[in-house]
Amino acid sequence: MTLTYLATGAVLWLLGLHALLVQRQVLRQIIAINVMGSGVFMVMVALATRGTSTDPILHALVVTGLVVAVSATAFALRLALPVIKASRSSAKSSRAVEPKL
Amino acid sequence: MNYAVISLLIPLLTALMLLVTRSRNGWWVIGSSTLSLSSAAVALQSVMHGGSQWLNLGDWESPLAIRFHLMPVSALLLVFTALIHLLVSIYAERSRHSQTKRTDFWPLASLLHAGLAALWLSNDLFNWYVTLELLGLVSVALVTISGPKAYGPALRYLLLSLAASLFYLLGVAVLYGRYGVLDLAVLAELTDAGPTTRLALVLMTLGLMLKAACWPLHLWLPPAHASAPTAVSALLSALVVKGPLFILWMLWSRVAPSELAVQAGPLLALAGIMALIFGGWSALRAPYIKTLVAYSTVAQLGYALLALGLLLYWQKPELHVALWLFVLAHGLAKVSMFLAAGEMQGALGSKRVRGLKGATQTMPVAMFAFAVAGGSLIGLPPSGGFLAKWVLLRELLLQPVHWPWAAGVLLGTLISAAYVFRVVTLAFDRANPTRPSYDPDRFAQWLALLPAILVWGMALISRPLIEWLTGVTA
Repeated sequence: MTLTYLATGAVLWLLGLHALLVQRQVLRQIIAINVMGSGVFMVMVALATRGTSTDPILHALVVTGLVVAVSATAFALRLALPVIKASRSSAKSSRAVEPKL
Repeated sequence: MNYAVISLLIPLLTALMLLVTRSRNGWWVIGSSTLSLSSAAVALQSVMHGGSQWLNLGDWESPLAIRFHLMPVSALLLVFTALIHLLVSIYAERSRHSQTKRTDFWPLASLLHAGLAALWLSNDLFNWYVTLELLGLVSVALVTISGPKAYGPALRYLLLSLAASLFYLLGVAVLYGRYGVLDLAVLAELTDAGPTTRLALVLMTLGLMLKAACWPLHLWLPPAHASAPTAVSALLSALVVKGPLFILWMLWSRVAPSELAVQAGPLLALAGIMALIFGGWSALRAPYIKTLVAYSTVAQLGYALLALGLLLYWQKPELHVALWLFVLAHGLAKVSMFLAAGEMQGALGSKRVRGLKGATQTMPVAMFAFAVAGGSLIGLPPSGGFLAKWVLLRELLLQPVHWPWAAGVLLGTLISAAYVFRVVTLAFDRANPTRPSYDPDRFAQWLALLPAILVWGMALISRPLIEWLTGVTA
């Protein structure tokens, strides 16, 4: 069972990385980072059950990681706001495509 | 309480104080950098006499505690960080062209100082993840001070920095899953050369190389460093990229089993040579002054990476010295270069390299600082850059099989000379100089010259410096 979770975490991490490299829209890139993060956290939580008893240190690390991820995402969204707005207004005037970074 | 911890706490408390009181007065930060510098100097003194120390925070015992490790190299880096912060803070407060007066620069710069100090003192894989994230977020916030036009490069910097952290964190998770420890000293005794360790090291190295802007993962650096305010560019180039480099060095020289280190060494060294060539080439062709200086950071990091790669490849402890001399010399020279470039582009009113025409006549002190710092980047004797290169070349020239690497160093030197002289020749073209828009700021120009003089002054203490570093890093 642990192995399934480990593999899922790794796949999530890879999916996020792929999306980050391929996607050009800012919002999708931010989501891709978050998917990567969830992948790592899943690997860590799965690893916590590898022994006979649950490893509390890994849980503590995941909690710290989540705090970092939430604040970093908020910061990224704030920075992305003008970029998205600028490309929206130019899209209205010139029918340009999606917001790009 | 230990002086090293005080040197960390002073900027941290200053940052919190500035945030809570909403004061944006730069003199607080100048004062705190001075205090932090003096306590770092006392810590360095005690390490030089008493050797490395373990600092258990909150008096917890080993497996549960967060331990700081005050090594000679980390004490030296504490002093270096505080010194550069002090210089840059004085510039940011006094210069007419700094865009940082009364801005959020002050709490953020203090926080950056605290984050770097924590990074140098940490000896724990997860602690480093936290300090890396702290540095990344604070650096991006510092870049955005120059206004909405910097949001694009800042956002790209943030996304890449976060992705790099997740590479590193996955590597940490894999290592912890395999060995069950995070403390570096304990981990160093357990690691074997199995596929799990290999995977973890590859993931962590990729993440750290992306954060340290090592070739070929450097593309985010020039736009981010060039679009930041001058004081911020100086801090980012001189200090922030050295943080992940320090972790990379600790990881490969302490944790990695030697057979893996021997395999990874040539790859890192090759990336270093490529950084020298391509970074230098881009600096040679850069249209803007600050982009030129930023690409030169990419190129100069190549030397440090080359020294790291070769020391792993041949298992030669002498090359540790070359690595740290490169870091110190580049940090000082780059502060000088960015401050001089910022002064010149502010007073001459042009961001382009072409705008520096005749600058030896219109802004002699700033141009002199730029050229003197450039001399150290090229490695002209007797500068700090020369010392580092000499220690590296001494190893390379001793045996004929190593000469191809020496050729790479030579090529890198030629390219750095080319981009420095590109600016210098233009500045001596006095026929039709660009007129300054107003009187150049004397004090700021002399301030830009100071670190350049310090880096040449490293030659005066070269012998004790090299001998001491050889003793403590081996």
